Amino acid sequence: MDGAAYPGSFRDLVDDRVDEGVFRVDRSIYTDEAVFEAEIERIFEGGWVFLCHEGQVENPGDYFATEIGRQPVFVMRQKDGSLGCFINACSHRGALLTPFRQGNARALTCRFHGWAYDLGGRCIRIKNEEGGFSDPEFSRERFNLRRIGALGSYKGFVFGSLTADVPPLEDHLGAAARWIDLLANQARNGLEVVPGSSTYMIRGNWKLQAENSVDGYHVTTVHRVFASTIANRETRDATVGMRQTEAGRIKGNVPTGAYDLGNGHMSIWALHTTPHVRPIYESRDWLEENLDPVEADWILNRGRNLYLFPNVMLMDNPSTQIRLMKPISPDLAEVTVYCIAPKGESKAARAARLRKFEDFYLTAGMATSDDIAALEAVQDGSLGRLSRWNDMTRGLSDLVAGPDEDARRLGFEPAGCCPDWDHEGLFHGFYRAWRDRMENGAAAA
Amino acid sequence: MNGDGIDAGLEREVAALIAREAMLLDRRRWDEWIDLYTEDAVYWVPAWANEEETTTDPETQLNLIYLRNRGGLEDRVFRIESRDSYASVPLDRTVHLIGNVLVESAEGDSVEASANCLVHVYGKKGAATRGSLYDFTFRRVDGALRIARKKIVFIDDRLEGPIDIYHL
Repeated sequence: MDGAAYPGSFRDLVDDRVDEGVFRVDRSIYTDEAVFEAEIERIFEGGWVFLCHEGQVENPGDYFATEIGRQPVFVMRQKDGSLGCFINACSHRGALLTPFRQGNARALTCRFHGWAYDLGGRCIRIKNEEGGFSDPEFSRERFNLRRIGALGSYKGFVFGSLTADVPPLEDHLGAAARWIDLLANQARNGLEVVPGSSTYMIRGNWKLQAENSVDGYHVTTVHRVFASTIANRETRDATVGMRQTEAGRIKGNVPTGAYDLGNGHMSIWALHTTPHVRPIYESRDWLEENLDPVEADWILNRGRNLYLFPNVMLMDNPSTQIRLMKPISPDLAEVTVYCIAPKGESKAARAARLRKFEDFYLTAGMATSDDIAALEAVQDGSLGRLSRWNDMTRGLSDLVAGPDEDARRLGFEPAGCCPDWDHEGLFHGFYRAWRDRMENGAAAA
Repeated sequence: MNGDGIDAGLEREVAALIAREAMLLDRRRWDEWIDLYTEDAVYWVPAWANEEETTTDPETQLNLIYLRNRGGLEDRVFRIESRDSYASVPLDRTVHLIGNVLVESAEGDSVEASANCLVHVYGKKGAATRGSLYDFTFRRVDGALRIARKKIVFIDDRLEGPIDIYHL
């Protein structure tokens, strides 16, 4: 580490004394440069992160360019249908190889000096090779692209790690895998990423976005105005059917829950009061006939947000979303959102899904924009160092270790359960995983 | 008539209407702003499908905003005026500057026009100037031109939010 090395112990930043009724985090974790540098190295570049959905690299030669921490990579669909992921830099002088964020190529040719690589990252052409590398022993193989350390896919969701020193993907996902199932298994023909995306900048720390995505407690304050706006619309327009928006979860007084899923993953759910307005409801008969009844019930009747440590959120609430997060600096994160939807759903369901997405989820929408303002306010307030701690003890006395009845019935093993999404016990798991990774790097994952 | 067969008086009327919309947004005269739109007005801000193209079909592709009638604009104003929106209190200040107004065609009660817009924003995140391409369809209702369709191509795609109707 350079001069930004952290002078103290990361352990001291998470005051974890649940037995004494204390769980709080030092607000400097949102603002400190040295903390951030260690996060990039030990969390984002030191373990599994989400890369893309397989639907974004469907055919051989399809590529998706992204970053792992600060390092540019691209996922490439191979000729045999498998996936490869490589550092996105020419082996010669380091220029990015992909002209677009997403595209298709028979080979990637560097636009700087014309070196070319096949889909498997092999260097297949060096411009004027014979004039520059005349050694008879010369082999282009030394210029093959650098593969990342580990690559895996679960139900179409693709994850990668720069280091090979990581547990199997299934172990990393753990209890969260069952929550991915709830999104993937609802689509009898598979999921697809809908054309169009939106990228926005948050002037806040990436962990605030992580917290916010599974913070049920803010919903009845920050999104009260969304609920009242929608209520006003539906009265004015006498809205019926899928054009209606589920607002029960925002008004409160519905059954909810929250889970610490282990390894830093978290989730929340709320019962829908009007499940028939959801686009998935048209598949009810198929879901009830073909899935386990408990799973079908979760899909149809419970809105869900899932956070997968450290960089992606999968939402199945008013609409369905992949929210990919990239940390830029302690006080800046870049977020890209995609609508993900069942292939082959009806035109009416697809249009309704898109309208609900646009209503709620975007920085140009009527709810996510308010979320961003809220977490940016936390970022700014965290500079008040004289007041040091963020408290996360709400619901402590109701926190259950291990699975509750719901978890047992659906079949997943959370580390902790909150019987109300207003409770904050799920964040304990997030910050314990964060603390362990910060102290030990990827080996702890 | 100009060289394209467009009546010069109509060109002035269109330019004045687009400028008036900008003025009403900058001065927060929301109800008068909404009155510029027909009841069935479509307000559309496509998303970017890739680095070079926006989405083109709101029924099957994602948009930043797609409002299918004037009620959609009323929702936005309702939320702003509630003073309960975290992102809208305090409101950013804006200055719209309209240019390159061109009437593309006029047929019966319907007029097609395009324009460019720069919006200078000042708020808690500092100042920014952002550009949009406007495409309008106007319709004459009881003698007055009204906006029946507005498509806004917002050229930024790394958005410094929030982005609401007064930022566009």
